[in-house]
Amino acid sequence: MSLARIIVPPASRGLDMAAGYGWPQSTAVRAGDYLFVSGMVAIDPASGERMNGTLTSEAHRVFQNLKLVLEGAGSSLERLVQVHAMIYDRIEYDALNRVYRQYVPNGPPARTVWSVQIIDAFRVQLDAIAIV
Amino acid sequence: MPVAREIIAPQNDKLNVSRNLKLPHSPGIRAGDFIFLSGMLSVDPTTGERSPGTVAHETRQTLSNMRHMLESAGSSLERVVKINVLLYDMLEFDNMNGVYRQFFPKDPPARTTCGVQLSAGMKVEIECIALAG
Repeated sequence: MSLARIIVPPASRGLDMAAGYGWPQSTAVRAGDYLFVSGMVAIDPASGERMNGTLTSEAHRVFQNLKLVLEGAGSSLERLVQVHAMIYDRIEYDALNRVYRQYVPNGPPARTVWSVQIIDAFRVQLDAIAIV
Repeated sequence: MPVAREIIAPQNDKLNVSRNLKLPHSPGIRAGDFIFLSGMLSVDPTTGERSPGTVAHETRQTLSNMRHMLESAGSSLERVVKINVLLYDMLEFDNMNGVYRQFFPKDPPARTTCGVQLSAGMKVEIECIALAG
């Protein structure tokens, strides 16, 4: 029997980028024991408004949003296995790490940091694979 | 029953870059039937120092370290299902491929290559998902 592919809507409406922004993506897809989360940016989880700011402020928001999505899907930050941390400029690598440590202090997930352009002038985007 | 989540580390401590440099990630995570590795750089396995060089050199050292990391966890390069290669400049794509081919001579894994900024003047970073043991 093949695995079921389950679309997991975000716990907070504002995080639904398909509904709020018309982006053709689901927030998270569950396949078996694994949860694949779309790239997350700094969005107000209640209103869906963009919360552009410093890399530090955006990273806090993104981690809090990621926590909402993971917990809504029966996972958690502690169950993350691999993260792609995208930042707009490598010069902010340490700023990212300072926030990062606060959310995954023990046994952090595998990670690669990519310096890339991010939509809407956001400074950080995280995508993730977690286990449920 | 929930899937087990286990941190993976290389047998050679010198290659445990995240621990040695106190970075907030693990070398790798095993979750169920899969192993997820962090991005790896060219690191000298005898000194633990970064080993910058040509793209060919960095690709060779990085994949060699990746082989060690996977074998430390009971997997192997032959069990890799997806790889992401980050290059400092896509002009060097062919130089990376020349070495890459030697590590994956047959039925290579799915792969994405991107041109990005890397840390500390390094030219190549490689991460992967592999089947566990």
